[in-house]
Amino acid sequence: MKWVGYATIAYFIAMQAYMLFLAVVSAAALRRNHHLRRFGRVGEMLSSKTSPPVSIIIAAYNEEAGIVDAVRSMSIVRYPRFEIVVINDGSRDNTLAALIEAFDLEKVRIPYRPELESAPIRAIFRGRSGVDITVIDKENGGRADALNAGINVARHSYVFCTDADVVLDPDCLVHSMQRVVEDRERTVGVGGNVRPLNGSRVELGHIIEAGVPRRLIPRMQILEYLRNFLASRPAWSWMNSVPIVSGAFGIWKKSVVVEVGGLTAGHMGEDMDLTMRIHRHMLVRGIPYRIVYEPAAVIWTEVPDTVRVLRRQRIRWHRGLMRVVSDFRDMTFNPRYRQMGTVAWPGFVLFEYLAPIVEFIGWFVVPTAWLLGAIDTTALVWLLLIALGMGLLNSLIALLLDESFGYFNSPTDTSRLIAVAAIENFGLRQLTVLWRIRALLGGKGTRRWGNMERRGVTNLAADSR
Amino acid sequence: MPSDSLLQVAVLVIFTVNALLLMALVILKVIHRRRMHDHDARRKSYLGLLSRCLSFPNNTEPITEAIAEDPAFLDALIDMRNAISGDEVSTLHRIVNRHGVIERQRRHLDSSWLLGRRLRAAVALAELGDELSADTLMAHLDDREPEIRIQCARGLGRIRWTPAIDEIVSRFKEEIPWVRVRFSDTLLGFGTKATWPLLAYVKINHRFDHRGPALALRTIAQVQDDQAVGPLLELLDERLHLEVELATIETLGELGSPEALPPLEQRLRASRWEIRAKAASSLGGLGDPSAIPHLVEAMRDESWWVRRSAAGAIARLPDGVAALYQSLDDEDPYAADAAAEALIDVGELVSARRRADQGGSRHEPLLAHMRGKGNS
Amino acid sequence: MSEKKRILVADDSETIRALLQTALESAGYEVDVAKDGLSAYELGSAGGYDLIILDQLMPGLLGLDVITRWHEEGMDVPVLMLTGVDDDRTAVESFDRGAVDFVRKPFRITELMARIKMQT
Repeated sequence: MKWVGYATIAYFIAMQAYMLFLAVVSAAALRRNHHLRRFGRVGEMLSSKTSPPVSIIIAAYNEEAGIVDAVRSMSIVRYPRFEIVVINDGSRDNTLAALIEAFDLEKVRIPYRPELESAPIRAIFRGRSGVDITVIDKENGGRADALNAGINVARHSYVFCTDADVVLDPDCLVHSMQRVVEDRERTVGVGGNVRPLNGSRVELGHIIEAGVPRRLIPRMQILEYLRNFLASRPAWSWMNSVPIVSGAFGIWKKSVVVEVGGLTAGHMGEDMDLTMRIHRHMLVRGIPYRIVYEPAAVIWTEVPDTVRVLRRQRIRWHRGLMRVVSDFRDMTFNPRYRQMGTVAWPGFVLFEYLAPIVEFIGWFVVPTAWLLGAIDTTALVWLLLIALGMGLLNSLIALLLDESFGYFNSPTDTSRLIAVAAIENFGLRQLTVLWRIRALLGGKGTRRWGNMERRGVTNLAADSR
Repeated sequence: MPSDSLLQVAVLVIFTVNALLLMALVILKVIHRRRMHDHDARRKSYLGLLSRCLSFPNNTEPITEAIAEDPAFLDALIDMRNAISGDEVSTLHRIVNRHGVIERQRRHLDSSWLLGRRLRAAVALAELGDELSADTLMAHLDDREPEIRIQCARGLGRIRWTPAIDEIVSRFKEEIPWVRVRFSDTLLGFGTKATWPLLAYVKINHRFDHRGPALALRTIAQVQDDQAVGPLLELLDERLHLEVELATIETLGELGSPEALPPLEQRLRASRWEIRAKAASSLGGLGDPSAIPHLVEAMRDESWWVRRSAAGAIARLPDGVAALYQSLDDEDPYAADAAAEALIDVGELVSARRRADQGGSRHEPLLAHMRGKGNS
Repeated sequence: MSEKKRILVADDSETIRALLQTALESAGYEVDVAKDGLSAYELGSAGGYDLIILDQLMPGLLGLDVITRWHEEGMDVPVLMLTGVDDDRTAVESFDRGAVDFVRKPFRITELMARIKMQT
């Protein structure tokens, strides 16, 4: 009992140390472009006439409220050549009608080459107004299925897969495609920085001012995303082992996506699944490649602001994660997969996937061991403090790394973030653990992408301050 | 089990570091917030100042040394420089020179230790510099920092400093890809003067490297110098890497000289589909309708990309649209599809619908093709 | 007492707004500004302007969208479009929708002023 108790706590400290290691490596990786970010004129500096054209692919299901605004804001992104492809995934509302009206769409008959499988297409539309937009109307098949259809229609060699409810930073394509141009032959994927827009002032599809909401649930997620995107991913990117290029911001070389068969329909973690499959595809064949992460390429998205919606999201995510971990278990400690197999993937599985399980067990084991007198009280207190302290350390590092991006400057924002860093370990984190255990027990069932209650971007922002 | 005192020390260390980081965070945020706010306010006022200077030639508002040294003023200058053109640019330059702004930035680029300041200086020189800055810019083409090298090349391109052309092209070989691409952008600023150095570079290096020469060829295409056609045709006779051959064909298409017709038509029957497709699309740029029959043949190619390229090329040629309408009846359904797609791309469908009510019959076949084949 | 002519300047670039406002006011016009397509449309529709200068790439509604709406509503205030250097399509389409002139960015202030004087 005694050893189990101590082992559990030791696991936690090891996990925090692993996070700390990632954070430090990320800090070093981010330093490179720090001066460019501070300078602020990056968009102009980086634009080039030879930038490769990009197809922005948006999967939309029941988005009549915001789809037109979303597409409009995407149409003025600062990038020389791109097209917008919207897939109406069998919406039951007026998504398609809204698009037809706003962009003066007309039905066209063009050859549709299904390189990737998808649910049947009903019609294809092209826009006649100033925006280069193509809309596919198809039967419902889920997000992955819709994106596959979009990839089939995309005219350019790079595809940018994203969602209908995001707000793009106008320079996000410039920044992310710079990583492609740097090394066109090897770069097959670029992931961007996803930031929660809850609490920010949004107008006309633009972030006027980033902010931190008052409510705890979205606030916690802001910190969580910062830790993930600023204190983990840069490290993985440096090791060319990014396990997940976020579905909200994933730029891929179209030919590679087609080679691996596109996204997996019905998979709840389809973005991670695609990323890992591409890693495997390239590593197994020995093709030199890289999947990078660009922190300066930013996209904003609405995150759940109630416990109920968050719970659904986390259970779904964890189910996806479970399936991916199972599908790719052969990579663990497998030198055939190089850094991914020997360092990054085992670390991920051990400390990110197994963490909730160990923690859950710990809730029972540690108090029991203590009550039985197997663990010394003072030692327990010190160890818990160490684990807590390291957790706080990771959060503070993430907040410091975020400094060079220049968001969240008001005293209210800063204090709210620090506060949530302090208290998230007293309840919020335990909730997420519970949900993940729930997902574990619930098995690997497949479920269609649920419809997160959309409060509409501007409504959210308004009341959260 | 580690001893209690060790644990205590660990806790102490961790929480001390936390406290330090917390302080650093708060201080940085406070500083940053204030700095950003001030910078922005000053920049706005400078925009007003510069607008008045440009609108009133005899404006007597003073630009003090404090203003001239302010990075916000530099930002405002760059913004203004990008908004105007023509004579007003020289007015802006006069203001800039009168107050030693460029001088100061040159000094920063040469001797400052702070990377941020040097970068800002390089951008300032690129955007606002004139011939006097040329020496500094040339010297920093070898700067350690890639962004600075890029900005220097950019600046030299903007002031059209011809001696820089050879320097920039000669660095194609050694440079990292990202910088090379931006260098090639820069060369466009020099116009036709860049053609020969680029051609020379391609001729010498294409056997050893394909990326640099391919990029150089694409740059030649954008420079649009007809003098390049002859040498490019000669180049096609040599044994080329696929990428270099594709770039050469593409460039010939962009330059649009009918001399390129025979070699391009020949390549419509090349063994690699990439070459066939590229030759097809490039024929569209030559403006010679005698290529149409060959392209119609290419629309029956087995590769859909070749078909698409051929159809798109026909659409760009004189009387091409008529030929595409005829192809709608082609017995090969794929060729017909390619023709329809090309017609849609050039807006024929829009015209067709618009003129259908006015009783035009020319577009009827396209509308029929849309309706006739049933639902998609 | 002669009334000042009123001009609406709609552009999301702060620099352009500052520049045009200064230049136009110094030439004796009364100037209002809009930062995005939607407010450009609302202000312009409210009426009272002798000329509207409209940028193409704006958040909310593109310049072309705004002028299309005005065209459909039969608004008769002259509109001058500001377009980017490579943007021929906007220029042509805006003429179809009733624009009286267009100027490419970056522009020469003197030239722009001359064109504005011609329309007012």
